[in-house]
Amino acid sequence: MKQIKFRVIIVGIVFTLFFTIIGAKAMYLQIFCRSWLSEKAANQYEVSLKSSGKRGTIYDRNLREMAVSIDVTSIAAHPPQIKNPKAAAKSLAKALKINRNVLAKRLTSEKKFVWIKRKVTPKEAETVRNLNIDGLDFLREHKRFYPNKTLASQLIGFTDIDDNGLEGIEFYCNDDLKGAVSRYTVLRDAHGRGFEAENITDSDSRGKNLVLTIDSNIQYIAEKTLAETVTKFSAKSGMAVVMATGTGAVLALAHFPFLNPNALNEFDQELWRNRVITDPFEPGSTMKIFSAAAAIESGSCSPNSIFYCENGAYRVGRHVVHDTHEYGWLSLQQIIKYSSNIGAIKFSTKTGSESLFRTLHNFGFGTKTGIDCPGETAGSLASFKKWTKIDAGTISFGQGVSVSALQLVAATSAIANKGIFMKPYVVQAITDHNGRLIKSFAPSKGRRVISEKTARTLTRIMQTVTTEGGTGVNAALEGYSVCGKTGTAQKIGKNGGYANGKYVSSFVGFVPSEHPKVAILVVIDEPKGQHYGGTVAAPAFKNIAQKTLAYMNISPKSKTDGLIVSLGSKAKACSFRIY
Amino acid sequence: MIDRRFVKYFDWGLLGLTVFIACLGLIALYSAVISTTVAPQKTLYFKQLIWYSVGIIVMVLSFLINYKSLDRWAPIIYIACMLLLISVLIFGKHVGGARRWLILGPVSIQPSELAKIAVIISLTRYFSRRADTGGLTLRELLTPFMLTVIPFILIVKQPDLGTAMLIVLIAGSVTVFVKIERRSLLFLVTACTVAGPLVWFFLKGYQKRRILTFLNPDRDPLGAGYHIIQSKIAIGSGMIAGKGFLEGTQNALSFLPEQHTDFIFSVLAEEWGLMGSLLVLCLFLSLIIWGLNIAYRCREPFGTILAVGVTAMIFWHVFINVGMTMGLMPIVGVTLPFISYGGSSVITTMICIGLLLNISMRRFLYEQ
Repeated sequence: MKQIKFRVIIVGIVFTLFFTIIGAKAMYLQIFCRSWLSEKAANQYEVSLKSSGKRGTIYDRNLREMAVSIDVTSIAAHPPQIKNPKAAAKSLAKALKINRNVLAKRLTSEKKFVWIKRKVTPKEAETVRNLNIDGLDFLREHKRFYPNKTLASQLIGFTDIDDNGLEGIEFYCNDDLKGAVSRYTVLRDAHGRGFEAENITDSDSRGKNLVLTIDSNIQYIAEKTLAETVTKFSAKSGMAVVMATGTGAVLALAHFPFLNPNALNEFDQELWRNRVITDPFEPGSTMKIFSAAAAIESGSCSPNSIFYCENGAYRVGRHVVHDTHEYGWLSLQQIIKYSSNIGAIKFSTKTGSESLFRTLHNFGFGTKTGIDCPGETAGSLASFKKWTKIDAGTISFGQGVSVSALQLVAATSAIANKGIFMKPYVVQAITDHNGRLIKSFAPSKGRRVISEKTARTLTRIMQTVTTEGGTGVNAALEGYSVCGKTGTAQKIGKNGGYANGKYVSSFVGFVPSEHPKVAILVVIDEPKGQHYGGTVAAPAFKNIAQKTLAYMNISPKSKTDGLIVSLGSKAKACSFRIY
Repeated sequence: MIDRRFVKYFDWGLLGLTVFIACLGLIALYSAVISTTVAPQKTLYFKQLIWYSVGIIVMVLSFLINYKSLDRWAPIIYIACMLLLISVLIFGKHVGGARRWLILGPVSIQPSELAKIAVIISLTRYFSRRADTGGLTLRELLTPFMLTVIPFILIVKQPDLGTAMLIVLIAGSVTVFVKIERRSLLFLVTACTVAGPLVWFFLKGYQKRRILTFLNPDRDPLGAGYHIIQSKIAIGSGMIAGKGFLEGTQNALSFLPEQHTDFIFSVLAEEWGLMGSLLVLCLFLSLIIWGLNIAYRCREPFGTILAVGVTAMIFWHVFINVGMTMGLMPIVGVTLPFISYGGSSVITTMICIGLLLNISMRRFLYEQ
């Protein structure tokens, strides 16, 4: 027994030694390896995520939503955590209707994080959730949605999948609209399921809202009329702009063909631009009103100064300029009314190149208006010093000069606004996510381009265009007097000369003549059959003007002069903001 | 029968130590089953409490009977256990590719756990009659070899290599303790060295993988090596002071596998740090020394060998389990006594404690 007792002690020593080994190993792990093992632990369960706040809403002036962001789910995966990538790819491909092989490749990649499908429908997300695949991640993202589909789409623009504005207001005001990016850490378990740290509120990272000057109703009127006109004349495209003359606020900015930014890929990239602002074109005869303005402003002519119109053909240097009708002697006023090219050359020659250039330049031709939209063109108006003799002549009736639709309507608006040019704008206010005003944009101070007297004279002249015998008689409205000017420009062909049978027909003007409210421009590109601005664009102008005035509750002349004053309509008129 | 000396000699110290470790075990298990984010397994905790109640009854029974009577009962206990092991192979419940459990009404038991005690008792019976010879010869070792090999093969068949190896280790410890004749020992050591590598060819694929992974965990960090890497991360990130009760991230976020059974030590080490792990190791070492002290003080061979055998069992359990969580041992399904969840484990451990109390209490009966 004594021997065996000694052996018990030996066993005790051996067992203690073994325990010392594990004790030492515990110390090794928990003292010497603690920092890198802790780091390894943190790397496993802490995932730093970027979250961008919801993009702001774009409203029209009546606070109707034009672009909104909605919450959607995006599905991602952590490939190392996916146990059976092939089976997962198969079931996911079926649920999400995506290519199985591409998916399998992604799921077997070395990356820690891959997208499966972004911005899925709630139903798809639910289906995938029910598949119960470990290693999947469901992230909350925002998707841009345009509830009015095609309405003002080229103006508003669109965003990419990462919520960055790519075109239009979405691009121009991206910094305001875009939500702040916040980084936060979530805990993640071994199955890749995330546990968000608490109290992450969305409100402080949300983007700001924009309130546009656009009025959805007027926009709709303009777009509908444009669509009808372009279709009727089988034209290539069309543009229309409605601007509040007193402020420069753009009320409608329409393009046809339409673009639905919710399904962008189904549309030609050619349609993505806001062509009213980005595309210059030769204006043609609409330019004559500004030439006339130069003539009157410079004091060289009065509306009744008369010029010989050479019976329809006039040689300037090596070129012969034609009128559509043969005219003999016409007053300046009549030259505008009948739109005589020869007459325009005659009175502009008398005005002089320098005066003509200065006035056109003052009206904003050749420089950007500075509207709050991206990609604006300055058009082209060469300095008078570079003008040849024929240049000086043709520029007076809108050839050899190019303008954007916006420049044209803004310049016309200046005449309506007693000679003061207002910078056009489309964003009138920025609000926070609660609708509180952060910043509002008042109309620009304005810049006088011609004297009030000249403006009044021009208004009178432009009024005659829509009267009996004028080129724009189709734009005349019942109950209102309309100021306007037709334009018919031959398009420049491939070889540099003017192309046969390809025209840009336009009509620009403002209503009502006495107290102008809106300036309207309609441009129809390559109409078939008819091509005169007075036949193609003037009726569209009339339609837009009539409906807009009715919508804005601007009473016809006869009624204002008469006795009927509707209190109801007056009250309604007050509900509109800055027009 | 009740002698006043029973009360006088009752080993309150061992009981106190047992209660202390069991309480720590219940706290660690609470963390392991409650704080997981996936699906808290509260019922497991209550089940464990029930197992402890049963364990206490079994413990009381184990020290009330005179341990010397086990000498007589040894063959019956052994045969009964072998029959249970055979019936596991026939009627056992499949869990994760192995038949280890026998369903008896509402409870399922793991006969391989009981087999360990049966082997200890029968070896004790055999060795106690040869304790004072000059050492066991090879011929004398044949019977203990057979006693060990039969349950070993039956358990390997389940398959449960961990428990099977544990039986070999326990039997080996007891045999070496009793003393082997020098020549025989030399032969055995040579034989094992030669035959050892051959075992490799009998292992199943997953068993080979486990051993390869043990040698190099980074071989397959997301597959076979995942458990051991995660366990080390949990232990190491507990640092010195620990993350605090219920604050363990690796456990809560399900990075730890089998966190309530085989890897409960990692949960404990993560939440209580080095202080906690050393405390637990010290308590276990105290328990083992206490058990050996009982063996030392016992005045007759049967009691001494039985005490050494039972203590060796607790020792190997702790050493293999803790060693496994720290990457010192390959991953085998060996529980941590008192702390791991599991009815069979609790009851076997409580039987061991009961037997130690029994031997300790009756030492006066054999005064010389």
